Amino acid sequence: MNSVQTDVQIAVCGSAGDGTIAVGDILKRAMARAGYRVIAFDEYPAEIRGFGKCIARTRITTGQVYSMKPKTDVLVALNDGHAIPHVSEVRDFGAVIYDSAPIAAVQEGWHVSGHLRPGHLPYGLPMREISEQSTSANRSRNIVALGFVAGLYRLPRQAFIEAITEKFRTKAEEVTKTNVAAFNAGYERGGETYRFDKLEFGPPARRARSSLSTMMTGNHAIVRGCLEAGIETFFGYPITPATSIMERLAVEMPKHGARLLQTEDEIAAISATIGAGFAGARSATATSGPGFALMTEMMGLGVMAEVPAVIFVSQRGGPSTGMPTKTEQSDLNIAVFGGHGDAKRIVLAPTNVEGCWRCAGRAFEMAEAYQVPVVVLVDLYLSNRYETVVFPDTPPFLPKSWKPMHRDRQADLPYRRFELTTDGVSPRAVPGDVGGVHTATGLEHNEFGRPNDLSDMHLQMTEKRHGKLNAALKHPGITVCKRFGDTGKVDVGVLTWGSTFGEALEATILAREDGIRCAAMKVVMLSPLPVRPILRFLNDCKVVVVPELNYEGQFANLISGALGRPVKRFNRVTGKPIDVIQLLQAIRGAAGKRKWRKSAA
Amino acid sequence: MQRIIIGNGIAGSHAAAVLRRRDPDCQITIVSAGALLFYNRYDLPDVFRGRGDWVDYLVYPPSYYDEQNIKLRRKTLVKDVDPNKRTICLSHREALSYDQLLVATGGTGYIPERLLEYSDSMISFNNYRLAMMVRKALPDGGVVIMLGGDVLGLDLARTLIETGHSVVLVAGDRTFWPHEIDADDRPRYLEALRRMGLEVVDGRRIDRVESSHGKRPARQVIFEDGEVLKGDVVMPFYGLTPSVDFMSSAGIDIERGILVNPQLKTTGDDIWAAGDVCQIWSPQQNAYHFYYGWKNVKMMGEVAARNMTGDEVPFSATVDEQIQLQEDGTIYSPFWEYD
Amino acid sequence: MSIEHPVYLEDKLEQIRTSGRLHYRSKSLPTWCPGCGYYSMTEGVTWALNEIGTANEDVVVVSGIGCASRFPFFMETYGFHTLHGRTLPVATGIKLANENLTVIVVGGDGDGFAIGGGHIPHVARRNVDITYLLFDNGIYGLTKGQVSPTSALGFKTPTSPFQNQDEPLNPLAMLLAYGSSWVGQAYAGRPDHLAEMIRGAIKHRGFSYLHILSPCVTFDKTDRTYRRLDLEVRDLPDNHDSRDRLAAMSEASTTDRPALGVFYNEQRRTLGDALDAVVEKAGGVPRRLAVRQ
Repeated sequence: MNSVQTDVQIAVCGSAGDGTIAVGDILKRAMARAGYRVIAFDEYPAEIRGFGKCIARTRITTGQVYSMKPKTDVLVALNDGHAIPHVSEVRDFGAVIYDSAPIAAVQEGWHVSGHLRPGHLPYGLPMREISEQSTSANRSRNIVALGFVAGLYRLPRQAFIEAITEKFRTKAEEVTKTNVAAFNAGYERGGETYRFDKLEFGPPARRARSSLSTMMTGNHAIVRGCLEAGIETFFGYPITPATSIMERLAVEMPKHGARLLQTEDEIAAISATIGAGFAGARSATATSGPGFALMTEMMGLGVMAEVPAVIFVSQRGGPSTGMPTKTEQSDLNIAVFGGHGDAKRIVLAPTNVEGCWRCAGRAFEMAEAYQVPVVVLVDLYLSNRYETVVFPDTPPFLPKSWKPMHRDRQADLPYRRFELTTDGVSPRAVPGDVGGVHTATGLEHNEFGRPNDLSDMHLQMTEKRHGKLNAALKHPGITVCKRFGDTGKVDVGVLTWGSTFGEALEATILAREDGIRCAAMKVVMLSPLPVRPILRFLNDCKVVVVPELNYEGQFANLISGALGRPVKRFNRVTGKPIDVIQLLQAIRGAAGKRKWRKSAA
Repeated sequence: MQRIIIGNGIAGSHAAAVLRRRDPDCQITIVSAGALLFYNRYDLPDVFRGRGDWVDYLVYPPSYYDEQNIKLRRKTLVKDVDPNKRTICLSHREALSYDQLLVATGGTGYIPERLLEYSDSMISFNNYRLAMMVRKALPDGGVVIMLGGDVLGLDLARTLIETGHSVVLVAGDRTFWPHEIDADDRPRYLEALRRMGLEVVDGRRIDRVESSHGKRPARQVIFEDGEVLKGDVVMPFYGLTPSVDFMSSAGIDIERGILVNPQLKTTGDDIWAAGDVCQIWSPQQNAYHFYYGWKNVKMMGEVAARNMTGDEVPFSATVDEQIQLQEDGTIYSPFWEYD
Repeated sequence: MSIEHPVYLEDKLEQIRTSGRLHYRSKSLPTWCPGCGYYSMTEGVTWALNEIGTANEDVVVVSGIGCASRFPFFMETYGFHTLHGRTLPVATGIKLANENLTVIVVGGDGDGFAIGGGHIPHVARRNVDITYLLFDNGIYGLTKGQVSPTSALGFKTPTSPFQNQDEPLNPLAMLLAYGSSWVGQAYAGRPDHLAEMIRGAIKHRGFSYLHILSPCVTFDKTDRTYRRLDLEVRDLPDNHDSRDRLAAMSEASTTDRPALGVFYNEQRRTLGDALDAVVEKAGGVPRRLAVRQ
């Protein structure tokens, strides 16, 4: 077999109703089925109806990659008006596939073919005509186009037919037949079309192992983590882009005997989550910015009353209602600091889909181990992007357990729920436990849980609530931060968190190819902050760049504040993932003029 | 000022360059049926010299079009032209408005009617894609059966022979096209071709062209007398037919090509034509005349562009159109001279 | 209770000590003002729990903010003193996590009907199997006497110096309309009846709402006093049918003569039942809290 390394990004762009997202879905599932690695991210409008723009981007690779590509290799235009602004994201000598026989006359300047860059290769395809010929309806334009792409690049046809069959499994058999016919017609046409572009698909790196290698979104991975950790109760309120967590849990949790309730608002959701946590259940909620803002008071109670709970937050553009279907990383502040008082909590920010699963599962362990609410902070980009992930055969997550109330405690000594211990974690009893009767409270309290606002008591308890979380930095089974790229002293360090890490690492790899000594660090645990390894990293870097999808640099502020070090901010609020090339240019700039060889890519 | 040029060959591309030079601010759109940026078709024989990548044939890098602010629309077919509305209608049902139009669509390889039904068994050499198909179909040392044998074909034959292939020429009345050779001289010229290494079959009528049903060589030409000629590829080289079909309803004068005056202006308002597509009025000959060859075509592009921007210069052929029989017994066509 | 038969302190204390009620009282001394209706309520809850015989560790008392907020500290049960207005969703979470628990929510009119008003309909319609003891004194006592959603029109307080202009809510009518499966009313000035009503509310399987009328002896010397409530309250008619929601609504509408007793009582599926049914529909087995330490 040849050893062509596959790395192709295909974008499908159309309007809501063109079946854009559906085609992207079949494409990524088919390629995952065929054994390729897949990263995919869809953009779609906030409105359900209408003709808003949808783009489904899929990056298909054999090697490990970390983000979407800055440039698309193949653009499939299902709607000319929507696709025209995206033609420029196609790389030189990449392909643009469009409908060469539209149903109605096109206004001058509104056909995609008129907007190709000189380096692009055009493929006009009479999508509607082929759809009508193969299915006697024009509805399957999208599938025809998909078939064309598959045929053009000789992609494994069987994997697509299986993916189509799976996609329409719940529909009438006729639907599947129609779509397969449309796909085949497109495939034939693609197969006989002469190809000028230089895209190559090598063989997949491994055989598809459908049971272990799975393609899923970040939100789906969160659900998997919850289920494998044995989630018992979930309370939520619909909000983009977190809703799909609740939707999927609603299907899966009852199968495991667990309970899910859609509450009347986010306040009720977090309240019930804290209530269930108090009662000893593994309990979680999921929300986004506006809902999370409502939750912060109750999260503070969770901190004060030392109640385990897990809060999944998927960030979107803010403030206020903001941009519900666009990504942003502007809720770091509220996740780490939100609410009133010194309410230290654990905040985990996974950087990829696998991390979503891991952080979700470990969050339940940590919430119990340290008796505190744990925020798992993702964003729309990570929530909705697909990656192929290989999960271990046996879930690694620990079953429910916490530091237990002493059994040999003498009955006449009252139980000290908030006992001051060396590690700050008190032996815990939950309702139903004999001899553990106590009242948890949002008031400052003594070891017994009785209200107490003496200065010493408040100091001791505040220290306890903060100090006990330090152990989380060494919690087994989770990487709180990790360095990549060059070791030792480097010219530029890229310090990242959350979904931005993928783009940051890709940019780091490119910078190293340029000859810049460059390293990247991802910080997964934002609270408590792994100060020492970050400090070591900062000491190794001449310049530190902190790329973030927010305006002022919330993570940069966190780092500078905690470590007293200046960092170079790289902020974008485009509602889209960071552009790798722009970040690369920032790294070059930070490295200084003579540090790199090549001219701009 | 919106200027549209239909055709992305030498005439169209050169005209665009001249237009841009003479009018930095106008809009220039080249509409091309092909998928590629401008490349020299005359270079295509190089595919047999290992120059396989189409990028290597490009005359300009992709950035040229941005720098020159020339818009190039590829894979775009013009269905018709409406001189009254000043629009051209594209096959995907988009109409483009123009202030001035230059038709430079050139010609496509002519195939005699009786051979049309065997098109699938033959490969012409009109563009890069077809050139690559020939290369793919032709094994090392393989045999090309060349039908007709116009100067483009003979040029390719030179390269094929040089690169170790065999060429069997089925000669006919289009051999040496567009050069016209007296019947008396013809045997000498055919002999020259043999000297150049071609095998020449003359005076035979083709009955049909077939694939060999999976056997090698892949193709066979069967003459009316039943004799069979076997080869790997059959290529028709019967000269060019001007590509004017899309102009048929435009109401301008067309004979075989688009008729233009010496200033290359057609009979339609604000429409010019240049290159292999046009027949130019020659006052000396008192007739319309086709002019071929790379240099002539380029000059036509230049003249048209100048006249579109205010000049009134007539076209005059720059190339001696005579084929030469050289001292070493080979022939040489001035059309084989490229920059 | 009648003044014709004298009650001696010693006898009363003996009676309380031997009744077992103190088993449910913590050693903390209540912090309410002397004469406050919360004393009756505390006594009622301990009596009812003792009557029912629930184990201390199987009871959770949930409070929010207000004079009721300290209530759990005076109980020898599990307690959760939560946030202002959030008692009901917290209690929902506790109950759904462990159906073995007896969950009692205590709170005032401000906590329930002002800040927390949005949660009541949902707990009621879902029929969460918890008991809500709402202590209505028509005033914000803990913040020293401001107007509340059940304060009378014209009531003068520090935040309504030109008299209350807002029509008071009718909590009983609201709860009936929300679909609460058990609705009753009691009066802090009739502690024995209150205790029995609390027992009924706790024993009810489903959401039980007990509206407890009480004065604020410290900040309301004029409007809702023991004297006035004594005169106004009445018993529900003997022939009141507690399965008749319309009749209950009708009784609830006579706010000038508040009626005491069980307005409405029906048996229907609880939220826990519904979620178990969902689990069974999905092919799962309902899970009960396994960890007992």
